Amino acid sequence: MSKDAFVDAGLYLPQTGRIVAIEQCTVNEKFFRLELTRPLQHRPGQFVMVTVPGMGECAISITCGPREDNILEMVIRRVGNITAVLHGLEVGDTLGIRGPYGAGFDLEEFYQRDVLIVAGGLGLVPLRSLLLPMIAAHQRFGAITIITGARSPAETLFRHELADWREKENVRIIELVDSTDHYQWDGEVGMVTAPIGSLVLDKNRTMVVLCGPPVMYKFVLLELEAHHQIPATQIFVDLERRMRCGVGKCGHCQINQAYCCQDGPVFRYSDIQNYPEGLA
Amino acid sequence: MKPKVAFFDFASCEGCQLALLNCEDDLLAILAQVELVEFREAISEQAGRYDIAFIEGSIHREQDIERLYDIRSRSKVLVALGACACNGNVQARSNFVAPAENYKAVYGEEDRNRVQVDGEYWPLWTHTRVRAVHEVVKVDYQLRGCPMQPTEFLHLLKSLLTGREPSFPANAVCVECKKNENECVYDRGLACFGPIAFGGCDAICINSGHLCDGCRGLLPYANVKAHRQLLKEMGIDITSVQNRYRLHLSNEPDAGEVRR
Amino acid sequence: MGSYLATEEQVSTWLHLLAKERDLFWPRSVGQFNYSFLPLGERDEICFDRYLPTIVPPGRRLLPDDETLFTSQQGDDRLSHYLPPQPSAPMVLAGVRPCDLKGITQLDTVMAAAPADPYYHQRRVNTVIIAMNCLAPCDSRCFCSAVGALGAQDGADVFLTLLAEGVLVESLSARGDEILVKASFSLCEDGKERRLVAEGTRPLPFGRELAVVPEALPEMLRKGYESPVYHRYGERCYSCGTCNLVCPTCYCFEVRDEMSLDGFSGRRSRTWDSCMIPAFAEVAGPHNFRAEVGERQRHRLKRKFEYLPERFGLGSFCVGCGRCGRQCTANIDILNMVNDIAVEVGGGS
Repeated sequence: MSKDAFVDAGLYLPQTGRIVAIEQCTVNEKFFRLELTRPLQHRPGQFVMVTVPGMGECAISITCGPREDNILEMVIRRVGNITAVLHGLEVGDTLGIRGPYGAGFDLEEFYQRDVLIVAGGLGLVPLRSLLLPMIAAHQRFGAITIITGARSPAETLFRHELADWREKENVRIIELVDSTDHYQWDGEVGMVTAPIGSLVLDKNRTMVVLCGPPVMYKFVLLELEAHHQIPATQIFVDLERRMRCGVGKCGHCQINQAYCCQDGPVFRYSDIQNYPEGLA
Repeated sequence: MKPKVAFFDFASCEGCQLALLNCEDDLLAILAQVELVEFREAISEQAGRYDIAFIEGSIHREQDIERLYDIRSRSKVLVALGACACNGNVQARSNFVAPAENYKAVYGEEDRNRVQVDGEYWPLWTHTRVRAVHEVVKVDYQLRGCPMQPTEFLHLLKSLLTGREPSFPANAVCVECKKNENECVYDRGLACFGPIAFGGCDAICINSGHLCDGCRGLLPYANVKAHRQLLKEMGIDITSVQNRYRLHLSNEPDAGEVRR
Repeated sequence: MGSYLATEEQVSTWLHLLAKERDLFWPRSVGQFNYSFLPLGERDEICFDRYLPTIVPPGRRLLPDDETLFTSQQGDDRLSHYLPPQPSAPMVLAGVRPCDLKGITQLDTVMAAAPADPYYHQRRVNTVIIAMNCLAPCDSRCFCSAVGALGAQDGADVFLTLLAEGVLVESLSARGDEILVKASFSLCEDGKERRLVAEGTRPLPFGRELAVVPEALPEMLRKGYESPVYHRYGERCYSCGTCNLVCPTCYCFEVRDEMSLDGFSGRRSRTWDSCMIPAFAEVAGPHNFRAEVGERQRHRLKRKFEYLPERFGLGSFCVGCGRCGRQCTANIDILNMVNDIAVEVGGGS
C-alpha cells in the first residue's frame, strides 16, 4: 500500500450538524434543516450518512440543491429504529453527518435538453436536489415535465414549491394520487405510469429521471419503451440500498458489479440494465 | 419515573438470574436506571404493573399458564429469558416420552403405577406438555442461551431504556468460532450444532474445548436436512442424532420431528 | 535488497529478536490439526515445516473484528464529540504464504481505493511482512497456482525460501533491509538463482487446476448467471458464513453502535460480516436482494472471479488458499463449483 496515497483520517468521523428547523410534511415524513460546521458542497442526487449519537447511522438523501452555505436539508420518513429517534428530535438538537457520498447528477448534461422527471412516493425527496437548481436556471433547459405520484393527497410533498415551479413557461407538472381518500384534490387520480403514453417526447433530446418505490421502475420503463424508445443512456434511476459505510468498503449495497454508494445511488440506466439485481 | 422491571421464574434452574447477578460491574449501573420490583433470587416484593417483565423457565402446568397470562396482562414488554423460556430447553424432551415412562425412569416402577391411579401424586409431573413462553403468550424479545448471555441482557436493557430496537443478529455459532479462531469441532471428528444454531454466545462452549449443542435454538434459516445428512454421513446412528437434537431442541418446530 | 543464507536456528533467533520490539505473528499450531497467526512468545518454537493455511488469513489482522470506528462523548455543551480510535501498534506478519500475501495486496488495493480506509492504511503502513515461499502444495485443497497466486512476492518486505542448504532470506524492500540489520546472516550472491532452482522442483501441476484460464472466468460466469450449479451447492449450504470469514479477500463488515447505560458515551465498531448470511442484503420493506442461498453462493463466487477482478483490474480475487472448502462443514468447494459451471456452460476444457 502506497504510503503517500491521500488518506482522510476522519473518514468515519461525523461532523456535527445542529437542527435549525423542523417541519412536519406528512404524518410519516419530517423536513429537517441542519447547520453544519462546514459547507457540504454536494452535487444533486448525493446522500449523507446521518448519525444519531449512540443509536446508529443510516443513509439519507440530500434534498436541498447545491449551495455555498453550511445548510443541509433532508426529508426523513419514519421507518425504523434510527428514523424513529430522528422524528423525536427538536430544534437545537445535534446529529452527526458524514458525506456527501455517491455519484450524483451532472447538471450540465441536462442543459438544452428536454427533461422528464417521474417521482413516486418519496422519490421527490432526492430529486428536489436536482430540480431546485434546474428550475432556478430553467431557461437553460428545454421542456421540463414533472410527474409526481403519491398514495393520497395527505402523502404529497413540496406542493407549494411545485405550484411555484409550474409558473415557469417551460415547466409542466402532473400531480397524481392513487386515490383521493376523501381529501380535496386538484390534481389527477391514477398511477405515475398513466400520463407517460400521451406525452410528446423527442427521444433524441429527452433526458429521463426516475425515482420511487422499487416496483415503479419496471412499469415506467415499460411505458417509456412502448411509447417513446428513449435510449437507456438518457435515462437515470435513483436506487435505494441499505448502506453501512457509504464509501465502498462494507460491501452491503452491492448490486451485481456496481456499488450503490459509489457508482450510484443515481445510475444511468444503460449502466445497470443488464444487472439482474438492479431493479429486482 | 424509573421503569419497573420484574423477574419471574417458571420451570428452570434459575441459572439465568444467577448469570445476571454475575454482571457485577454493570449491575449497580442497571439498578440506578430501573426499579426492581420482583426478583426471587434477590428480593421479594409485589407490584401491579411492569414496564419490563423477564420470564425465566418453561411453561408446564395449567396454573403456570394462568400465572403467565396474568403477568403478560400487567407488562408492557415481556422478555423470554434463557433457553427454557425461549424454546423449552431440555425439559421439552419429555414431550417425546409418555409421562408414566418418565416417572418410571426417575422414581421406579412402583411410583409409576401409583401415579397412574392417584392423580394427586407427584402433582409437579402432571403437566400436559412443556412449552416455550411464546407458545403461550406474546413475547417481545428473546434472550437465548443456557444460560442467557449477560452481554445480550445488557444490550437489551440499554436499548429498551433508550427507546431503541435491540439487535440480535441471526448468525450461526460458526461466525463467532471464526472470530475466535477456534479449531472446527468437525475437524476433531465430532458433530456440532454450530452451523445451524443461533450465535450470540461468543461460541463459549467451543472456546472451552467443548462442542455446540444448540442451546440457543435453531436459526430461522437452519438447514436441518443437510445437518442431519451430515451427521449420518459421519456414521452417527439415527438414535444418537435424535438424542442430540432432543437435548435442547425438542420444541423447535423445524428440528424435523413430530412432537407429541 | 540483498540475499542471505541462514540456518533455521539463526532465522528463529532473528525473529525472536524482532518479536521483542513489536508483535510478531507466526503460524502456530492450534487444536489438533489447525494453525493460527499468533504472537510469537519468547519461548515459542518456530515451525518452519509445512504448516497448513491458518484458520483465518493473516490479512484479518489488518482489518480486525470489532474494530472501533470512533468513540463518542457527550460534553457539557450537550454536543457529541467523536474521537478516533488509538492508532494501532506496529507489527510483523511472518510466515505469510504467497496466497495470503496476494490476499493482502488485494486488500491493499480495495482499501486504498478512494476514499481510502484510514484505519486499514494506518495498520498496513505499520506492518512488516515476512513471507514464506511454497515449494509443494499444502494439501489436496489448495489451487494457488491455478489462480496465479503461487508466484506472489509483491507486498512482502522479506521473502523466505526453505532450501536444502538452509533458509534463503531475500530482502524485497527498504523496510526489509531495515529489519535485517539485526540479523547476522551470511550474504548469498546468487540468492535469486537458488530460489529459481528450488522453485523448479515444484511438482506439476501444483495443486488442483481450474477448468478454464482465470481470464476467461468473468465471461463464463456471466453466461452461467442462471446456472443451477449454485442452487445445487446451495442445497447443502448452512449460510453460516465460514467461507467468507476465512477468505483472504473478504472484507465486508457490519457496523454496530453501543452506548453506555447512562447514555452519555458510545462506541461505533465494525465487525466481520458475510454475504452468505441471509440478512446481508436485506433492506427495509423488508426485502432481500439475495434471499435464496443459491443467489448468495453466486454472489460470493462472482465477487472472487468477476466483480472485484473487473472493478480493480487485479486478476482473480480468489487466491487459491483452499480455506473456504477446507473449513466448510458442508464440503462446498469454490473450485469445484467453478469447474462444474465451466462444464455446464461449455467453457471447460
